[in-house]
Formats: sequence, C-alpha cells, structure tokens
Amino acid sequence: MNPSLIVLLVIIPAAAGLICVPLINRLNTCRLVGVVGFALNLGLALSLLGACSQGDTSAIVTQLGGWSAPYGIALVFDALSGLMVAAASLVALACLIHASGSLPDPVERRYFHPLVNFMMAGVNLSFLTGDLFNLFVAFEIMLMASYGLLVLGRGKAQLAQAYKYVLLNLVASAIFVIAAGMVYGLLGTLNLADMARITTELAARDALPAGFTAVGVLLLFVFTLKAGVFPLWFWLPDTYPTCPIAITALFGGVLTKVGGYAVARIFPLVFLVGDAAAVLQQIILIGAVLTMAVGVFGALAYRTLRRSLAMFIIVGVGYALFGVAVGEPGAIGGSVFYMAQSMIVMAAAFLACGLIETHLTSDDLSDGGGLLKTHPWLGVLFLIGLLSIAGLPPTSGFYGKFAIIRDALGAGFTWTALIAIGVGALSILAVLRIWCESFWGPDPVVQPRDAEARAAALAREPSASGYAALVLLIAAALCIGILPQRVVGIANAAGQQVTDPGAYIAAVMGPDARPPAAESHHDTPAPAPAHGHDAAHDTGHDATHAPQTHTPAAPHPPAPEAQTDPTPDPHQDLPVAQPAPDPVPDVGPVPTPEPEPEPEPAPSAPRTGPEFRVQAHGQQMAAAPHDPAMERRP
Amino acid sequence: MTSTLFKTAARLIVPLTLIFAAYIAMRGHNSPGGGFIGGLMASVGLILYRMAHGRAALLRLLPFHPRVLVALGLAIAYVTALVPLALGQPLLTSLVIDGLYIGLGQTIHFASAVFFDIGVLLVVVGVTVGMIQRLSEEVDSQHIKESGCPTTAASSTGGNPR
Amino acid sequence: MTFVMALCVTACVGVSIYLLLGRDLKGVAMGVFLLGHGANLSIMAMSGSPVLPAENATAAESLKAAPILGAHVPSPALANMVDPLPQALILTAIVIGFAVMGFLLTLLIITNRSTGTLVVDRLANEPVSTTRTDTRAEPFLPSGTPS
Repeated sequence: MNPSLIVLLVIIPAAAGLICVPLINRLNTCRLVGVVGFALNLGLALSLLGACSQGDTSAIVTQLGGWSAPYGIALVFDALSGLMVAAASLVALACLIHASGSLPDPVERRYFHPLVNFMMAGVNLSFLTGDLFNLFVAFEIMLMASYGLLVLGRGKAQLAQAYKYVLLNLVASAIFVIAAGMVYGLLGTLNLADMARITTELAARDALPAGFTAVGVLLLFVFTLKAGVFPLWFWLPDTYPTCPIAITALFGGVLTKVGGYAVARIFPLVFLVGDAAAVLQQIILIGAVLTMAVGVFGALAYRTLRRSLAMFIIVGVGYALFGVAVGEPGAIGGSVFYMAQSMIVMAAAFLACGLIETHLTSDDLSDGGGLLKTHPWLGVLFLIGLLSIAGLPPTSGFYGKFAIIRDALGAGFTWTALIAIGVGALSILAVLRIWCESFWGPDPVVQPRDAEARAAALAREPSASGYAALVLLIAAALCIGILPQRVVGIANAAGQQVTDPGAYIAAVMGPDARPPAAESHHDTPAPAPAHGHDAAHDTGHDATHAPQTHTPAAPHPPAPEAQTDPTPDPHQDLPVAQPAPDPVPDVGPVPTPEPEPEPEPAPSAPRTGPEFRVQAHGQQMAAAPHDPAMERRP
Repeated sequence: MTSTLFKTAARLIVPLTLIFAAYIAMRGHNSPGGGFIGGLMASVGLILYRMAHGRAALLRLLPFHPRVLVALGLAIAYVTALVPLALGQPLLTSLVIDGLYIGLGQTIHFASAVFFDIGVLLVVVGVTVGMIQRLSEEVDSQHIKESGCPTTAASSTGGNPR
Repeated sequence: MTFVMALCVTACVGVSIYLLLGRDLKGVAMGVFLLGHGANLSIMAMSGSPVLPAENATAAESLKAAPILGAHVPSPALANMVDPLPQALILTAIVIGFAVMGFLLTLLIITNRSTGTLVVDRLANEPVSTTRTDTRAEPFLPSGTPS
C-alpha cells in the first residue's frame, strides 16, 4: 500500500470543507459532502488499522514533500493514532447526521459545514503528525474552526462564555510556540522521533539539558489545558454546554481527547526520560487523580444534564492520563482504549441529551422524570451510553478502566488505583442519578402555566436523523463493549509502541536510527548502552549537535536491540495483535528522495553541499507560505 | 479620509502596491517574500482603495464575495499539493525544473511550489479583504460608539458609505 | 544580542500579562496579540545551534551554526548562514496569529453588539441558559427542535 495514502485522512475533510465554502447555501449538498467525507475517512482509517495491526508493519509513515525524517514533516499512522482517527471520524459522522436534523438552517448556513470539516482536518492532523511544530499548526487549525463553531448561533451566553475558551486557548497557543522554540533550542530538532532519539541518548549519558523538565511542564500545561485536566478544567463545563447540542457532542467527544492523545503520544516518547521522568510523571499522576475526583464530584453536583455530562468528559480524561502516568504497556493500552471508546460514548450521551431536551422544556434535571413512559427506547439508548461512561462490565468503558487499574495496582500505585476505583463507583452513582431523574423518576411538579408547554414538548415528533446518529454511536459502543478483542488488540499494540519508542523512532527515521538504549524507560533506569560508553558518547554528541548525521559511528548490530523484545505480558489476557517488535521493522517503503546519510559521524560535504542547502528550506508547514531566509542577515 | 489629495494618491499607489505584491509573491521561493506577504501587500492596496473611494468602489473592483477568493486559493493550493500524490510521490512534493525556457532566450528556475504560493496569496487576500469589509461595515452601519468597538482598522475606514 | 532579545521578550510578555489581567476585553485581546509577538521573539532568540555544547566545537561555532548544518560548517560560504527553521516557524506563527487576531476582533464586535458591553464582570453576569436559575428567564431553546 502506498504510505502516502494516510494524508488522505487529513485531505478528505479539508477538501470537503473547501467544497462546502462556495456551496454554503445548498445545505443538502453540504450535508452529503460532509457525511460522505467522514464515512470515507472512517473506512480508510479502519482499513489502514487492519493493515497496521495484522501484519507486517507497525506504523505507516509518509514524509510530506519527500523530505526525509528530521527535516520534513512526517505523518505517522500507527495503532494509537489510527484508533483515534477512526473514533473521531465516527463521532464526526454521527454529529453531522444529528446536526442536519437539529441545527436551525440559518445557523447551519453560517459556515457550520466548512468549520466542522476543517476542524476534523485539524484533529486528524494532530493525531497523525510526527512533528511538534506541525502539531501546533494542527491544533490551531482545529482551534480556529472550533472558535467559529463555539459562537455559532450567537446566543448571548454563548458569546460571554466563549471568551474563556478562546482566550485560554490563545494563551496556551502562545505557550506552545514558546515551548516549541525551547525544544528546538535545546535539542535542535522538532521531529518527535528525532527528539525521542536524542533525549534517550542524553538520558543514557545523564546529560539532559537544563530546562528540559521545564519545557516538559510547559507542554504539559498546553496539552492538559486542551484536555481539561484538574487545575485547568474550569472552562469546560461553562463553554461546551452553551453550544447547540450537535456541536457540544462533537467538542465533548473529540476535542479533549486530542489533548489526551498529545500527552499519551509525546510524553512517554520524549519527556519521560531520566530525571525529567520522575517530576513529570508525578505531575501527570496527581493531575489525573485530582481530575477524576473533581470530575465525578462535579457530575454529582451539577443540576443540569449538559453540565453533568460535561463533567464526565473530565472524568474520562483523568482516567486516560492515569494510565499514561502508570506507564505500563497494558495501562497505556487501557488509556488508549478508554479514550477511543470515550469519544464515541460521550458524543452518544450528548446526542441523547439533545433528544431528551426536545421532549423537555429545559435540560434541568429537576424538570425531568417520567420520560421512560413516553420514550422508552430513548431511555434504553441513554442508559447504555451512561453505563458505558461509568464503565460497567458489559459496556465498552469497562475494559479500559480495568486495564488501567489492574496495571496501576501491579506497578505499585495502590492509593491512586483505589481512588480510581472509588471514582468509578461514584460515577455509577452519578450516571444513575442522571438517568433516574430524567427517565425513571416521578413526573416533575409542573406549574400550571408550564403544563401546556411541557405537554407540547413531550409530544414533539422525534427527529429521525437524531435517532439515527444516536443508534450509530451506541451500536459502535456496544460492539466495542461486547466484542472488544480487536480494539483491545489495537490498543495494546499502541501501548507497546508508546512504551517502546524504538519502534516509533525506527519507523520514522529509518531502521538505523535506533537509540542504543531503546528500552522502556520510565520506571527502570535505562541500561548502559550496549556498545560501551565511548561509542554512546560519540553518537550522543552527534545527535545533539548534528541531527542529520543520525547514524552512529558503528552501525548498530541488531543484537543489542533484541533485548527490547518484550517478554510476554502476563497481563495480556486477550488475544493481541503483536506490534511487531522487530529490530528492523518493516515500515513500508518510506519515500526518501534524499540518499541515506553516510554512516560517518563527521558531516561531509555531500550532505551539506549547496544543493542540500537549497533543499533544506523545503521542510515547511503546509499551512503557510514560507520565508526561506536564505539571505544572510545584514 | 476623502480628501482629493488622498483619492488621487490612492489611484497611483494602489496599482503599484498590487504589482509589488505580485513581485514579492513571485520571488518568495528563494528570497524573502512569498504568498502570505504578497497577499498582505495586495490586501493593503485594496483596503487603501476602499478607504479612498468607499465600499461601493471596492465592490465594483471585486464584484464577488471574498470567500470565492478563499475557496479558489485553497483549491489551487490543494491541487498543487495533491498532484504529486496522484503521481505516486508524497504529498506536497515540489516539481523543480531548473532551466525552464520561457522564450526570448530566457530561462527561469521553476518550482511547482509557486502555485501553492499563489493559492496562499489568494486566500490571504480573500480573508483580509473579507474581514476588513465586515469589520468596517459594522462600523459604517453602527457609527462608532465610544464604549464599544475596537478602533483598529475600523475607525479609519469609515469613508463615505454612500 | 541574546540579552536584547531576552529584554524584548520580557517586555512583551510582561505587558501582555498586565493587559490579560485587566477587565476590559479590548485590552485582553491586545494582551493576547502581544503575547504572540513575545512568543515569536523568543523563538528568534532560540535560533542557532542547540544550547548543548558540542564537545569539540568552540564556543563561537556552537553558538552560530544552524543545527541543520551540523557541528562543522562545510564551506566558508555557509559560515554565517542563519538558521532558517526558526524563521519559518515564526512566519507560520505570525500567519496563525493574524487569523486569530481577525477572529478575536470580530468576536469583540459581535459581543459588543449583542450584549452591549466588553467588560468582563458584566459579561459574566450574562445568564447562562443551561443553569437552573436562568432557564425560566431565558427559555432554553432546544437545539433538537426540528425547524
């Protein structure tokens, strides 16, 4: 398969958005374009995932513009990003179907379709990109579109609350830029795989630069703000619920998971090494636990349906980060699984909430009750969604939580694991409270003047597209819950990849670029490099100073890498598609127009000759024109 | 802002700005410049024209919604990015012809990235002009309130809405 | 030069934080733009080689060389080459900042028109339609209503 095909995952929504711009007044065309686009994306992501998890390759890599890895922008499709893309595409598809029935036409004409498509292009690019600055660009594409969606409809409250989201994210973007600049200043590269290679080597030499941990904290701030982690969660229940419900569902399902994904992708890969690991891991762990606790208490306390559900987004992010902080392959696999299913389930719950609101006069829980008599099927669907959120066994949320807590107990995080279990119990209480108050409880006390409105609302015709979208998501969640083997296999493969950066580095940079100590490096100190201290020293020096000469003096014999072969995980109780822990992974034909670098440490003229110099500025963000700045500074 | 002096000067300056914008955009491949900067330059020219001659005059100059420019520019950029994909190369690969003969004994260094830059230029012009049109329409219709509006571009673009 | 850059970054970020802490959204918006400029300048200050010193490079070399050139400058013509990547990054960030600026200004205008104020306190008092107390005051418009 042509690895370039993975760019289609970004191109399809972007192109769909483009098509929708001039056709904005033909709503049906726009809807069709969006639905077809997301369906195509979903199919493509699933088929690529199949190719990825079953067979020969653990990661599909394409280098944009043909510039090989440390210079160009690499897009990486592996189990982690693939699962996220697939789930996000499914959620977008359902939300679009729901929106076509529920959004008022004038709102839909205000560039709803281009914005949704562009946002999903940004989301997919965030999942796929293998470059830190490109991740910033992807975040910005996503955020710009989401700002637009957030104020769509221009309700007063919506506008007033939007500032929290917009301004916080703008500040976070500025910090992201600063952090990216610092990463570049410290490591001389922005390619994630290259960064991982360099930091692994530096950690092995105990020579991590000063300020490395600080950069990690800055990036953690940026990502956790997007994810809604504990000290930075407060904007979420204020902003998301003010949108039209289809947009709330899309945001609640997808956007926070992008932040969670970024943490899961970048931190184990790059930052959880050496001294930095201890600090950052503690921060993530404490943040995760507090996030869970705050989220579940918020969900218990809020009296409105939308806000309670919004707090469950926060609970889910807490669990996902907890798995990342635990750092065992199984726990990270559980996190990945949990994030993927949480996207689907949260979106489903919000869409169900939208349908409930059509039958009630508000989303206030005290106005609810008694709906089960009139709308039993909606009640059943909503209950399935809520139980998945809480993670009761037959539903999809269970396995993720189970794997995370199991590995946390195994790795000695006893107290935090107990808190996670307690949060799980409280979650069940909270979801049952929501469901009982809206469906099962007694009819609310209705003022005589409201009785007519309520009767009219109860009798309102249900929207077919709304139910179709809800059924789609709930069916997907049920499939994942009842037959989790495939998804668990993919998620565990993702966990393995995340904890063993060697495979990722090799996939992106080419098989020669494996670090000497490609060992899972958070809890165990990295073992001494296999080729003796001097060789490591040399390679480390090269790496830090001359990123393009990424081949060490002596090409690594494959033997030392054999140690990374994971011993069979005792925790893996389900069949797992092994993530090909091959020392020489078959990464498919990585297009490298440039010749492979000479295996000499000293950069020689051929690599950096004039021709190379001219090419060097080709590595550019696709989103912007560039100033190659080939002229000297005056 | 409607003095005769300004109107006459604008008539001279605007074409020059547009030509300079084209120059900047074209040299951007190997020198400072490029589509974004050229686009900003061109939009400055167009906005200057609007300031001098009013909204209706700009509408005569660009008799369509600026979003058409955005869509066109994005389409050009996408096509430029996607053609290599169709040819089996990675996305965004630039086709470079070093000595492309363009007649009259001249050769140029041609890179297909120039189309991408043109696309970017159109997007920037569309976005900027559209944005300032909307912002200043707001001001035109509402009249400048002391308390409210940000007065960056808006207060100076008032002009004569006719 | 690095010191001057650091001063500029400090000034930008300091002023922007002062503005961000204000109560007027216009000022907050200006603070956001200024913060973006501070971020861009800080990238500029980072340009050049990684801070990690190469063991065999002189201080001057390790400060000057662009990482893309590696530890050794291959030809004298490239000895003064400026690192192109930070400039590309800055340009990208500027483009994005430009878009954000347009959006934020538009948002300010729309907000001012629909709520009549740009002061944070008064905006915060806008009823949020999904809270319990306000549902009566501003009837919740179910977005699921088939229109």
